[in-house]
Amino acid sequence: MADVRVRSLTKVFPGGVRAIDELDLQIADGEFFALLGPSGCGKTTLLRTLAGLETASSGTLEIGGRDVTRQPPGARDVAMVFQDYALYPHMRVDDNIAYPLKIKKIGKAERRAKAGEVGAHLGLESLLERRPAQLSGGQQQRVALARAMAFRPQLFLLDEPLSNLDARLRLEARTFLKRLQSEVQTTTVYVTHDQAEALALADRIAIMEAGRIRQIGTPAEIFKRPANLFVAGFVGSLRMNLLPATVAGERLLVGGSAIPIPSSAAGLVSDGEPVILGARPEFCALVAAADEGGIAGTVAILENLGTDYLVTVEAGDLSVQVTVEEGEEPAIGDRVAVRPVEQRALVYRAGDGRLAGSPRADETDEPAREQAAAS
Amino acid sequence: MSAPTVAVPSESQLVLRAFLSRLAFYLFVVVVSAFFALPLLWLVLAPFDRHPSLAVKVPSGTLANFRDVFHDPFVLTSLRNSAILAVATMAIVVLAAALAAYALSRVRIPGRDLLLYVLLLFSSIVTGSAAMVPLFLLVFDLGLINSFVGVILVLAGGLLPAAIFILKDFMDGMPASYEESARVFGASSFQVLRDIVAPVVRPGLAVIAVWAIVNVWGNFLIPFILMRSPDRSPAAVVVYNFYTEGGQADLRLLSTFSLLYSVPVVVMYLFVSSRYGFRFHGGIKR
Repeated sequence: MADVRVRSLTKVFPGGVRAIDELDLQIADGEFFALLGPSGCGKTTLLRTLAGLETASSGTLEIGGRDVTRQPPGARDVAMVFQDYALYPHMRVDDNIAYPLKIKKIGKAERRAKAGEVGAHLGLESLLERRPAQLSGGQQQRVALARAMAFRPQLFLLDEPLSNLDARLRLEARTFLKRLQSEVQTTTVYVTHDQAEALALADRIAIMEAGRIRQIGTPAEIFKRPANLFVAGFVGSLRMNLLPATVAGERLLVGGSAIPIPSSAAGLVSDGEPVILGARPEFCALVAAADEGGIAGTVAILENLGTDYLVTVEAGDLSVQVTVEEGEEPAIGDRVAVRPVEQRALVYRAGDGRLAGSPRADETDEPAREQAAAS
Repeated sequence: MSAPTVAVPSESQLVLRAFLSRLAFYLFVVVVSAFFALPLLWLVLAPFDRHPSLAVKVPSGTLANFRDVFHDPFVLTSLRNSAILAVATMAIVVLAAALAAYALSRVRIPGRDLLLYVLLLFSSIVTGSAAMVPLFLLVFDLGLINSFVGVILVLAGGLLPAAIFILKDFMDGMPASYEESARVFGASSFQVLRDIVAPVVRPGLAVIAVWAIVNVWGNFLIPFILMRSPDRSPAAVVVYNFYTEGGQADLRLLSTFSLLYSVPVVVMYLFVSSRYGFRFHGGIKR
């Protein structure tokens, strides 16, 4: 059990690529923490630096109160599950699980017993004598988890462990992983590019872009109040509507309509300021074309999502998306209006892309750090 | 439009044509196979014939040739010498090539690929007869003429570049995550090499070992030039001794010795193939 502190960590690769840039982060003991971001954002490099497979260029790393910045991987007491699972093809499943114990110089009988115990916990009893090549993807993933658990580390590092599974199995494995982590209560850092996975699994999420953290928060905070346009555009199964707008007195001019300024931004924007209105399709309602608070337009596309319909409305140059329940979908060509739900609509400043009400870009990241340190 | 009348071949003509082309193909294959098979057949049959000629014929069935060949004092020593040279060279080549290939596969050095290709080029093109004079002088100056060490070093040096090249490919095929996961669990470099790398590339090591032994076993030129005394000559050199006083090849002894000389390599190949099977443990999709 351990917490993790990362202080102004920088990793520059030979060749000058700055994969991690002055990054600060604190992860609490027992927390399930997700690093989320597009490919190339530095999340895997951060994980590998935590594991010791990459050496930090500057900054410090503490695991469980111990400075491990210059420690080799084996001295950090962490276990890592790789994207390809890295199961040794020439060893049986139980020998794979027991390999970390072999390195700890534990006797063969005890190793086998321990591997059997951990394997049974993960539903691998009948597979212990097989080789990795004889297992399905989901079974291989569980063997990799079992191997990490048998090591009893202070910290689990998981590098996209679900990305090699097919879609249905991935959902099962996700639930399994969450239950497992809540049972063992070991601090876990989880890297993924799949925002739905991060929202579903993590206690807290850090969203990264270009080696920096753009927002840290609980899944609910991140989903409901993305701190900037990058996070707003990245998180959510359906893309958030991000509509250019202009403040005009008490109203926002957007797509030829004038709607009330959402309460989240009231008093925080000035007259004539260019802004971006952010409203998730799930947080919008389809209303009559004449509605006071709606963005009026014409229905252009209907997409069936199963229980819902995703309706794309064209308002001038803008496309606005909204979900409606099955059976209430309009017809293509109808004149309608899309009204953002008052408490859920957000306003971003056009200049720096930050949420109105959050500090401006020139005010540094200090509050974000304090927030991270406090939790 | 009046279509010109074309002579359409009848069904039976088509069948005949297919039959003839097939027959020609098989005849061709038989002639080519015979070209390669007859010398081998001769090698297997001639030792059991009391009066072998250069023709392949049913042997008269005798073991007298084997009895006679073992009367030659150099026969058993030469086979033993061959074994010493082959095993020692193989050990050096496998060990050194494994370490070098692992390093070259995992460490990024500028100009690495160029180095490999230059090594391969020099070892495969500038060897053998072309390099013999400088090699002889080198071994002579080192005082290693007529010693096993000298021959083994020269043979190993000639095989190493190609061995490194082949093994590096095996090493490259192994995901880095295998070693990384072991390192995160605290394994030392030596443990990683012993527990993970060596077993995973074992088929590659087996290939190199067999290849090195076969190469040394069949090498004539290097031991012929570097070994001066007949009691240290390997079988490939001794096989040239089987001439009658008249300067004619003694086909009885020559064929018998050739068979004895071939058997160990064939047996070893069959053993390694059944024991290790030249295959690679598949990883998962990457």
